[in-house]
Amino acid sequence: MKKLIILTLLFTSFATNAQDKYTKGMEKAFQLWSAQKNLDASNLFERIAMAEQDNWLPYYYVALVNTTVSFGEKDVEKLTQQLEKAKEFIDIAKSISPENAEILVMEAMINTAWIAFDGATYGMTLSGKNAQLYQKALALAPDNPRVVFSKAEWDMGSARFFGQDTTPYCKDVDRALQLFANFSNDTPFYPSWGKDRAERVSKQCAE
Amino acid sequence: MKNQPIYLIFLLSFNCLLAQTIVSGTVTDGSKSAIFGANVYLEGTYDGASTDESGNFSFETSETGTQTLVISMLSFEPHYEVGDVSYFTNLQIQLVEAINSLTGVTLTAGTFEAGDNSKVSVLKPLDIVTTAGAAGDFVAALQTLPGTTTVNEDGRLFVRGGDAGETQVFIDGLRVFQPFNATANNIPTRGRFSPFLFKGITFSTGGYSAEYGQALSSVLLLNTTDVPDQEKTDISAMSVGAGIGHTEIWGDQSLSLNTQYINLAPYENLIPSTQGVRWNSPYESIVGEAVFRSKGDKGLLKFYTGFNLAHLDIAQEDVNFEDFVRFQLTNKNLYFNASYRYFFDKEWTLTTGASLSWDANDVGIIEDAIDTEETASHLKAKIKKTFSGRLNLTVGTEYFVTDYSETFTSTDGFTFDAGYNDRLWATFIESDIFFSNDFAMKLGVRSEYSTVFEDFTLSPRVSLAYKTGKKGQFSLAYGDFYQNPLTAILRYDRSLQSEKTSHYILNYQFLGEGKTFRAEAYYKDYDDLIKFDTEMPQFNSTFSNSGSGYAGGVDVFWRDNKSIQNLDYWVSYSYLNTERDFRNFREAATPNFAPEHSFSIVTKYWWNKLRSQVGLSYLYGSGRPYDNPNSTEFLAEKTKPFNNLSVNWAYLIDQQKILYFSVNNVLGINNINNYQYANTPNSDGVFERQALRPAADSFFFVGFFWTISADKKSNQLDNL
Repeated sequence: MKKLIILTLLFTSFATNAQDKYTKGMEKAFQLWSAQKNLDASNLFERIAMAEQDNWLPYYYVALVNTTVSFGEKDVEKLTQQLEKAKEFIDIAKSISPENAEILVMEAMINTAWIAFDGATYGMTLSGKNAQLYQKALALAPDNPRVVFSKAEWDMGSARFFGQDTTPYCKDVDRALQLFANFSNDTPFYPSWGKDRAERVSKQCAE
Repeated sequence: MKNQPIYLIFLLSFNCLLAQTIVSGTVTDGSKSAIFGANVYLEGTYDGASTDESGNFSFETSETGTQTLVISMLSFEPHYEVGDVSYFTNLQIQLVEAINSLTGVTLTAGTFEAGDNSKVSVLKPLDIVTTAGAAGDFVAALQTLPGTTTVNEDGRLFVRGGDAGETQVFIDGLRVFQPFNATANNIPTRGRFSPFLFKGITFSTGGYSAEYGQALSSVLLLNTTDVPDQEKTDISAMSVGAGIGHTEIWGDQSLSLNTQYINLAPYENLIPSTQGVRWNSPYESIVGEAVFRSKGDKGLLKFYTGFNLAHLDIAQEDVNFEDFVRFQLTNKNLYFNASYRYFFDKEWTLTTGASLSWDANDVGIIEDAIDTEETASHLKAKIKKTFSGRLNLTVGTEYFVTDYSETFTSTDGFTFDAGYNDRLWATFIESDIFFSNDFAMKLGVRSEYSTVFEDFTLSPRVSLAYKTGKKGQFSLAYGDFYQNPLTAILRYDRSLQSEKTSHYILNYQFLGEGKTFRAEAYYKDYDDLIKFDTEMPQFNSTFSNSGSGYAGGVDVFWRDNKSIQNLDYWVSYSYLNTERDFRNFREAATPNFAPEHSFSIVTKYWWNKLRSQVGLSYLYGSGRPYDNPNSTEFLAEKTKPFNNLSVNWAYLIDQQKILYFSVNNVLGINNINNYQYANTPNSDGVFERQALRPAADSFFFVGFFWTISADKKSNQLDNL
């Protein structure tokens, strides 16, 4: 009887171990990321991605880490490497989970990083792509706060470039804020970023 | 406690299962320098670590037995170690540099690329079409690049001492047989195609790939857009006509249509051309183009078709006639191009396609009539295999068919028929070999067999590139090129051979941030050029392949879009030294189309406050040789230099509406292209002459461009 108990215990602990491995790994990666250890975080997300080849999230986070560090990067070689890596991983994420609005927003962010780096070179060619990506994302998930907010922020940027009124987009930002408050997704580690930024933009709108 | 041993065994095995092995080592590159940030992990597990500044890594794992250790790092080839985990300690791992298309060496000799993201791009398609003076004709914009010379009265591409007929144009790899609009003598032509449909342009001024043949000087490769971004409608209203274009997308299929009507009559009424011409009916044309694309999982199918109907009726001054000489032309041109690309497993790519063109001219000169008809097609298939980042191989074959016929009818009822049928086979094989990120080679050979003169040619091509530092590189290229004599000759004589040239090119390129410098020295050796013994090639001329010639020179290009904010400019200079003995030349001489010095500067300034792009282009060409029959020397005199300053202004009324103004030759400089001498001397024994000048010195253009798209952002700035 004792044997059986030990056996059961052992096996269940192994089973939960296996299940927890993903949780633990992802948590560890997020810890590294919040501690500004971007490279280590990216590498760990990559290792998880390589082990969990049918889960789009670790791939998504490799792309997200590499894209966010690229904003403000001045070294063209480093920037290229990071954004190429982000693109490579988001492409795999897309093949695992097609028709995913979060992935489309991520793709648009990679393009935006290029445009932010060199608007003259990449503006003309990537702007049209982004417009299309946001439109498709909005059609797929009209109530996703990140989609609503990212699209509004993108539209504001180009309106500003043409010296046009940006206030119509403030309404969208406020709507995104409401959506952020109510948004939930059962998938563990589902993307949740964007609220702080939306609050900041909303504040700028109010000024 | 009977169960104790079992319990112990369990405990032991449990411990054993959780026993931690330490995996450790150092990662370095080829020169033994530490690699920081490499990802080292056991395949299929989360166990791993990143290397530190000294290239060291160390992590614990509970895995046992045979495992695969993966070391992955950007810009290096992934490294795998297979073995028992317990042996993975103090590993010394040396990574091999991956061939990097972004920072590595590129084969650039003789090539200017205008692509979206291509590293070798010196210009973007947008740059090309917003060049002042080009008025939307990208062929005109290419004339601001080094290696080309502006032949004002012609409008086609003259490259490095080569005649315009030595340049060939390809769309999606398939030959365009009549890439330029038909026109009258001394009236410059334009490219037939709307820049709207192309996303990549490669302009090779020499030493090009074995994939292309039948061009002695240059190839211009145009690639249509693969997949359009969004649905949109473009409307244009211009001082010379109007146009409308639309793109429709259904899932993976899309269709773009574009049509344009041009009529120069209202413009001529307002600002008549005065210099040696009288328009009976100014140039009028209607153009239609369509591109259909269908994208599959691994394949891409594209159809391109273009139709063009043009008419003009002009009377031109001629020194040999009392009256103006009348010239009427109606041109009908239909072009169809289908291409298909399929990506097989294991890095095999198949590219195949066919183009078909039909061109008919109905020409009237004074009272005589000439009707011509040309039907030509090109079939092509090539297979590319990429073995690794270091080696790829392309093998292809192609077939050209040309059927040409011409009927000359004079007022007195005399008729004369001419024509020919040519079938040309070609095969090519080419390989790109990257020895390292600093040294690369392209090796190819092309063979052609023409049925017209049952001649077989073999052309080797080689190109080397060596990177001297982070930003600079040298390239060398050599190649043999053959081309069949042009229609003007072949229609009368088919007992000839191909004309031949060899290119030798040395190139240096520096790519800094926002700055590009290129310098290229070349030498071209011409052989077997066509000669004839009459003023113009005609049915009773005697033709031979006894001509020869050379062209040598230096081309320099500098572009900078970083130093001054919102200002982008490029400067080109070409030195050309060429002589040839061809056509009806009585000795070797520099032809009229080859000025010694060419210089151009193109500037574009984005004026944020005015939401305007202002452009300015200046072109200079030194005097062009002409022959004065009053002197004994042949082609010894030179025209005065050519000067042209053009300006343009694109104003964005809002994101989708553009108002566009441009003036070509804003200073109204009187340019002289050539002199025409009388066939017979006057009573004083002097051959009289007249200057050949442009029909009008300056040209004004006003246009309104409106785009309607869902994102409300697209505009036609990139089409101007």
